Amino acid sequence: MTGFDLHRAAAVARKEVMHILRDPFTLALVLGLPVVLVVFFGFAIDFDVKNLALGVYDRDNTRHSRQLVSVFESSGYFLPGAVDSPAAAARGLDSGRYSAALLVEPGFGRGLGGGGRARVQFIVDGTDNSKAQAVLGYLPGLTGAALRKFGAAVPADPVPLKTRFMYNPELNSRWFVIPGLAVIIIGLLSILMTALTVAREWENGSMELLLSTPLRPAEIIAGKIAPYVGLILAGVFFVNLVARFGFGVPFRGSHLLFLGGTVLFALASLSQGIVISVVTRQQQLAMQLSMISGLLPSLLLSGFIFPVESMPVFFRYFTMILSPRWFMEIARGVTIRGAGAADLALPLAALAALCALLLAAAFKKFKTDLEP
Amino acid sequence: MNAGPALEVRGLSIKFGDFTAVDDVSFSVKRGEIFGFLGANGAGKTTTIRMLCGLLLPTSGSATVGGLDFSDGGKGIKGKVGYMSQKFTLYNDLTVGENLDFAAGLRKLSPAYALRRRRELFDLIAFDSPLSTMVSSLPGGVKQELSLAAAMLHDPEIVFLDEPTAGVSPASRARFWALIRKVTELGKTVIVTTHYMDEAEQCGRIALMRTGKLIALGSPAELKGAAFPGPMVELDFNGPAPAAALGGLGKAAGLLELSPHGMRWHAAFRDRPAMEAALAALPPGASRAVIEPSLEDVFIRLVEGAER
Repeated sequence: MTGFDLHRAAAVARKEVMHILRDPFTLALVLGLPVVLVVFFGFAIDFDVKNLALGVYDRDNTRHSRQLVSVFESSGYFLPGAVDSPAAAARGLDSGRYSAALLVEPGFGRGLGGGGRARVQFIVDGTDNSKAQAVLGYLPGLTGAALRKFGAAVPADPVPLKTRFMYNPELNSRWFVIPGLAVIIIGLLSILMTALTVAREWENGSMELLLSTPLRPAEIIAGKIAPYVGLILAGVFFVNLVARFGFGVPFRGSHLLFLGGTVLFALASLSQGIVISVVTRQQQLAMQLSMISGLLPSLLLSGFIFPVESMPVFFRYFTMILSPRWFMEIARGVTIRGAGAADLALPLAALAALCALLLAAAFKKFKTDLEP
Repeated sequence: MNAGPALEVRGLSIKFGDFTAVDDVSFSVKRGEIFGFLGANGAGKTTTIRMLCGLLLPTSGSATVGGLDFSDGGKGIKGKVGYMSQKFTLYNDLTVGENLDFAAGLRKLSPAYALRRRRELFDLIAFDSPLSTMVSSLPGGVKQELSLAAAMLHDPEIVFLDEPTAGVSPASRARFWALIRKVTELGKTVIVTTHYMDEAEQCGRIALMRTGKLIALGSPAELKGAAFPGPMVELDFNGPAPAAALGGLGKAAGLLELSPHGMRWHAAFRDRPAMEAALAALPPGASRAVIEPSLEDVFIRLVEGAER
């Protein structure tokens, strides 16, 4: 990197800012699209299962059994509907009319009163396993609530186990989805921005003119990346504003740490864009490669939806070379858990290493001669 | 300033894989000269110019540009030359001022110097629109002239122009060539590629290129004299040429070249007696006039003749 000249890099950066300011599409894309997507997905993506149709066959029909049904109803997770036989409940599950069924055996109320066993059957449609898992997750809470309502002596557990969800006590999936989504959009946009701007210079022939001056590749790369770091940070700022005040996603950690992580992630993604554009030298191809390399791994392998820990061994290691996987940890850690720099040392170091690697690759791949 | 040649090229070659784009080219250019490269597309003109600007590294051979060689990877040369590419002139989405500021920034010119140069160059190209004019709103010819100004902002000794007049109107072309002459009057050396014959006529010397090789080099008059030592006649048969007459002419002793030019034919002979003998055998209706060969005739004889 000998002969790096800040003035020449600044000239490139100034020109890039002019390009951006004259191109409302780019501005709208970076500042608007993440916000629009976060709002859109914030409303649409909801892993919480609510308003499930519940077939209820209450053969007991006592005060206690009705109380049990009302506990299910008032939870907000279920919409109970009475059926007149267990067979009807089964048919309802078959047809998909019900997602679960609650069968209260006769003698339930008596059992609670101390005369025998109080038995209830709960059937869940297991077709959609994530839905079934969620429903099963609600059950302990519901039975506990029912027992309290009956005023019955809650049987003492031999091992008292109390579950408490930290950081996100209501398990609000938006808190989980929105920061993750922001990571993916910001990553993709960063890659796209530099990929297109450098490929454009190759395509319209201006790169030839730039290279005919004493301008060095490192200066071109620095001048191309710097304005977009600023633009991306502005985009991230708006996303966080919407997440916090629109969706009530907390921001518990240090803003400075988050900013540092964001800059590293933006630099890594922008460098990836430069690598793509110097290899393709064509906007069309650069666009396609950016979409594939920027979207697929980050959607599937970053831990956005599928936890990295539960991936097969190969993919678990493979995710280590993906910058969104590390920034995902940082973003969720800082915002939701309030994690500090020491807690996030590994992802921060990994992200910095990837950033350096991609920058080096961009620099190395950037040829100063025009050889086709 | 040393008095050596502006450009000294020895055995320059470049290969892209198996393809030899420029093959063992040697020439030298004097300071203040307009030196033209003439050839068809793909003849190696642009590649040669790109090498001399430090944009491509030669596979073999040597060159000094403004007294500097490529031992530093072309960095020194890039400071001494100005380059105008055929594909790109100025950023359309920037203003005239922004484009020139960018060029000045890349060359690290001080604001005062850049301002002075800009005034001088605006005078030279007679540009008087405001600096805030968007480049996209300028006519093609003005864009080419401004692009030349941007390439000359750092006051280079040598200016490389790669097909500078491609795609502009004939009037703009004439204006641009007047500008090129003014630039050389300032002591600059101009290297220009073209495939317009009338532009080539205006060069001090021309290098004729074909498939990467330099096949002829000299002033327009020298090239004509070398290609056509004898006289040339323009024949007009007042309609389609009779096949018999053409056949007879084609076999005439001492015929160097017979080529169609529209409805007319140009016939070149080794010497005057050969011409007179051949013309005597033509039907009397055909009109004939001894003409000066044009560069187009030279091009046909040297470039296309070599392909036959």
